[in-house]
Amino acid sequence: MSAASDGFDPAGASTRSGPEAWFFCLRILGGRYAFEAPLVVEVVRLGPLTRLPAAPAFLPGVFTHRGEVLPVLDIGQLVGQGAVPIRPSTRAAIVHCGPWKVAVVSDAVEGLVSIPRRALEPPPAESTGMAEFLSAVGRDRGGAIAILDLPRLVETARARAVPAGSAPA
Amino acid sequence: MSAPVTELLVFQVGARVFAAAVQDVVRIGSVRDVPPEELVEGTSLGATLGRERGIVVSDQQVGTEATLVVDQVLGVRTVPDDEIRPLPAFAAAVLRTAAVAGFVLLDEAPTLLVDLPTLIRERRAAAAA
Repeated sequence: MSAASDGFDPAGASTRSGPEAWFFCLRILGGRYAFEAPLVVEVVRLGPLTRLPAAPAFLPGVFTHRGEVLPVLDIGQLVGQGAVPIRPSTRAAIVHCGPWKVAVVSDAVEGLVSIPRRALEPPPAESTGMAEFLSAVGRDRGGAIAILDLPRLVETARARAVPAGSAPA
Repeated sequence: MSAPVTELLVFQVGARVFAAAVQDVVRIGSVRDVPPEELVEGTSLGATLGRERGIVVSDQQVGTEATLVVDQVLGVRTVPDDEIRPLPAFAAAVLRTAAVAGFVLLDEAPTLLVDLPTLIRERRAAAAA
């Protein structure tokens, strides 16, 4: 299933200006999380995962999508809040963060949300779990949304992993 | 002109299927007659169930041979080179092994392509540590 079929238009979101900020919203472990909409390339239903040897817990596997092998990122595992359950119906947002292309697994995809810029607030001062990666907190008709700094989160995942060759097999 | 192809040995460790370049394989046999110090098991591919078969691997970089213990050797497949995919960049950056060289699509399923000499070198380094 493609993002286009969901009516999702990341390019359009990136060029919008004005009082509204556009984000892409996912439900992860029961919470509402969003990140900058232009990072999202597509929304897909996860195919069968191929698990990788010696992979960190936040990388539950890879799957093929249109002939491309894509890694799956479990943000819940990365921040120590537990694994996002992966079922045949599980959806993921394929995102580009700098040099990395990953599929962020979720409980459910809400899609694009707009939040008035004036309604965005600084994140809480906590530095543990998901709070470590928040850039703002917003609110829409569905309630509170935690805005993630996804590029920083993905880069932190890479940095926290032990590089190949420096750990026991 | 035919497309370039690669010959791959397909084998199983536990419940999982892997592939490796045939050129790294010297022979396949039973592990029963192999001295224990020449057997390599407990690698990052996981634990074996039956401990029946051995793949004798040549490491031309260090000029040695070692026998990787596997559960089954499923055969040799010839695949077009364009069905071999590199490991995604993010996965390559976070895996704790350099022995996963990429993927090959076997019957449309992504199967891990293993660099056998690197796998054995890593296991021996871990055992020596």
